Amino acid sequence: KKCVISNLSILDDPDLKDIDPAVLKHCHAAAATCILEAGKHKADKSAISTCLEDCKLDRERIEEFCTEYQKNEDALEIILGSIGRSPLHITDVSWRLEYQIKTNQLHKTYQPSYLVTLNVENSDSGSHPDVSFSCTMEQLQDLVGKLKDAAKSLERATQM
Amino acid sequence: QAGCLDLAGHFHLQFLEVSDSGVYHVQFEIIEIRSDKIASARKLGVGVDAVQHGVEALTYLLTESSKLAISEIDFQDSVHVLGFSDELNKLLLQLYLDNRKEIRSILSELAPKLPSYHNLEWRLDVQLASRSLRQQIKPAMTIKLHLNQNGDQTAQVLQTDPSTLLHLIQQLEQALGEMKTNHCRRIVRNMK
Repeated sequence: KKCVISNLSILDDPDLKDIDPAVLKHCHAAAATCILEAGKHKADKSAISTCLEDCKLDRERIEEFCTEYQKNEDALEIILGSIGRSPLHITDVSWRLEYQIKTNQLHKTYQPSYLVTLNVENSDSGSHPDVSFSCTMEQLQDLVGKLKDAAKSLERATQM
Repeated sequence: QAGCLDLAGHFHLQFLEVSDSGVYHVQFEIIEIRSDKIASARKLGVGVDAVQHGVEALTYLLTESSKLAISEIDFQDSVHVLGFSDELNKLLLQLYLDNRKEIRSILSELAPKLPSYHNLEWRLDVQLASRSLRQQIKPAMTIKLHLNQNGDQTAQVLQTDPSTLLHLIQQLEQALGEMKTNHCRRIVRNMK
């Protein structure tokens, strides 16, 4: 029994064609559950071994399972951590500086204006509903000041 | 004459000349944006059409002068062509000087606009656990961004991680700094 659950195509693997498909599916589901539960609770090697011993697996298979598990542990944690809803995530920002000269309604306006686009990622759908807005220099200073406050409080919190 | 208005063919201000006493009243009408033409006409002793044309002419004169932000001298030159009395010309100039700031601020609101920044609120969160993963320590900055959009205020909640937050600050500080570069200063200086 190989403990790889990367995808379901394993069910079509020619090496496994002699095994009853129902049994194969059960094995796959069991291995998947085991890996996900271990990942969810950040189980260490001894906890996983104890659990598998209770399931009457032999030492060699437990050893192989744990080795494979440890290889993929970090990637698994990232995947599990990214599941679930969260607000739209800002990934980057782009900006453009313009100098307003005139409009059809008003001449000699002469003021700088920034166009800011926040690149945003939706973790659920993978869509990118970017947020764009314009601001004056004073407004951008206000925005940056507030972000700096936020960064400062973040820094203080990590020092605790 | 480059800064002057071309008022030819636009003007029905003649009736103002006729009834100098009513000029203030007509000004009042424009500034308050009231349009009780019939009452005004009765008070001034002229036809309703004359009042309407007068109001329109004054509106044109004031918006056009304010739009171009013409100087006092250019304004006087423009109005002089119409051949009014010195007293009326002085009155029109005063009217322009008193109101151009407000008119410009009203005109600036008519410009096509993108959603604009209004305010930003933030909250520091640390995610400790979720259904699929226990024992996490995942700091996140939750940001509520308030924008002005077509006269309404909208707010949206966004989130970012600590390193992106620092990156945002760095980028936007560069944006602010750009205005102080020689290139930008030269453009600003030469535009005036």
